[in-house]
Amino acid sequence: MTSEYIKPIPIIQTWTEQFWKAAKEHKLLIQVCEDCQTRIFYPKKVCPECWSSNLTWEEASGKGKVYSFSVMQDMVEPKFWADIPYVLAMVDLEEGIRLMTRIVACDPEAVEIDMEVEVVFEDITKDCALPFFKPAA
Amino acid sequence: MGEGLAIIGIGEVPTAIMPERSRWDILYEICLQAVRNAGIDKNDIEGVITVAPQAQPRLSAEISFGKLPEELGLKGCRDVCICNAGGASTSNCIRMAEQWIESGLARIVLIPHVTVHSSIPLEDLINFFATAGIDLQWEYPFGTTYNGILAMMTRRYMYETGTTEEEMASVVVALRKWATLDPNSFFYGKEVPTIEKVLSSGMVSSPLHKRECNILADGGGALVVTSRKLAAQITSTPVYKLGESARFFSAFTMTRDNDVVGEGFRDATHEALDQAGLSKKEIDIWNIYLAYPVGHPMLMESIGLCEKGQAGKFFREGHTWPGGSLPWSTIGDAIGRGHTGSGVSMATYVETARQLMGQAGQRQVKEAQYVFQNTSGGSGMNFIATVWGREIP
Repeated sequence: MTSEYIKPIPIIQTWTEQFWKAAKEHKLLIQVCEDCQTRIFYPKKVCPECWSSNLTWEEASGKGKVYSFSVMQDMVEPKFWADIPYVLAMVDLEEGIRLMTRIVACDPEAVEIDMEVEVVFEDITKDCALPFFKPAA
Repeated sequence: MGEGLAIIGIGEVPTAIMPERSRWDILYEICLQAVRNAGIDKNDIEGVITVAPQAQPRLSAEISFGKLPEELGLKGCRDVCICNAGGASTSNCIRMAEQWIESGLARIVLIPHVTVHSSIPLEDLINFFATAGIDLQWEYPFGTTYNGILAMMTRRYMYETGTTEEEMASVVVALRKWATLDPNSFFYGKEVPTIEKVLSSGMVSSPLHKRECNILADGGGALVVTSRKLAAQITSTPVYKLGESARFFSAFTMTRDNDVVGEGFRDATHEALDQAGLSKKEIDIWNIYLAYPVGHPMLMESIGLCEKGQAGKFFREGHTWPGGSLPWSTIGDAIGRGHTGSGVSMATYVETARQLMGQAGQRQVKEAQYVFQNTSGGSGMNFIATVWGREIP
């Protein structure tokens, strides 16, 4: 699988390693500032609210709602051709942060704004998994 | 604003897919045109501030290190520089020119832009556009593209306002109505598609159809700017910068909310108008550069030119077309012009000046006195609002 994966792999920073390590174990983490309790996304080196370096992680419930989405059908890079059609989406987590993701495990035509979804991890290489979402059970 | 700034000369080549027309062909053409249009001598140019070429590293290096005044023999040139803020670069070139002029460093400044997409190797083009304004860690691995993020913004806007796909398509129709009259447009003289044709052009990223996305093309334009005082002595058609404001939103779409963008549109617009001492009613042309259709109704509603959810209807009824009550994007934005990287903002400034100089041909808005114009960079990271006039109110 590793040698065949031609799509882009996240370019990880030292302060985001934890997030991706957890993702590999199929856990979705949210970075939290211990000083001002801000939930931070995407993860930063210091808190973007108060510039504190006291940052920690909490596990997200993995539940959220679709903020918006697009069914990608044409004019994508050749490396994504095999995926067409795929549902690119922004999902608002219960914890109040928004991520870019994909909606999977359902008919693209069935996706709607505000649809309830839950995280499902896609192992793309032996070292990396991406948080996708599927319709909530 | 101290002495203030004015545009006195413009130059432009047609936007087209023409790999045989080199970057330096274009640079020569636009700079010669702009200097001649201003009615000055080449050696009157005392500064050159160039829009940073996107995805063209060799040209970028050449221009950064002074090749332009060298090529053109600008013997009066005192300094050169390049400005990069993506699609908002031209606005920053103008700001910097204003500072050079006010400080006395240069009295007259040349601001060129050139992009030749058609000779960039496809892989470089993809690498650049796939990752400019799209985060490599949190967006790109999911298959995020420019069309994709704008599609998501469009869907959210339609959901929040009840705007229909026919109304969204009518924005393209309106922009192309202007483009077909513009000799420098990719779509000059071409048939304007109907709403039905836009909607049958094939889905790219739902809800965006092919004709609601941009065509990458080559182009270039240039401005000659100076102080208000000198402008009035040099030309009978000076175009005065009257007001400016800006808002930064976010680098990436996932960290940007439609509501926050709407508020930024509104506040920056009103601040620029206040600085100009003008009201919305006094604006004769709204020269808007937002690259994709969705920004147009969003902006129109945010700044109170119509009620929320009514802009789509307004576009559909033809009020923004040539001859309509609200002339809007008189080169048809990137959708109507062809997308030239950081160049559509230059094309929009050139058009603002052209209209106020009375040189806009078939697109000329009669007795245009004041123009509102915006630019925006990246994936919509910011909004720069400016107001321009034939006179100082």
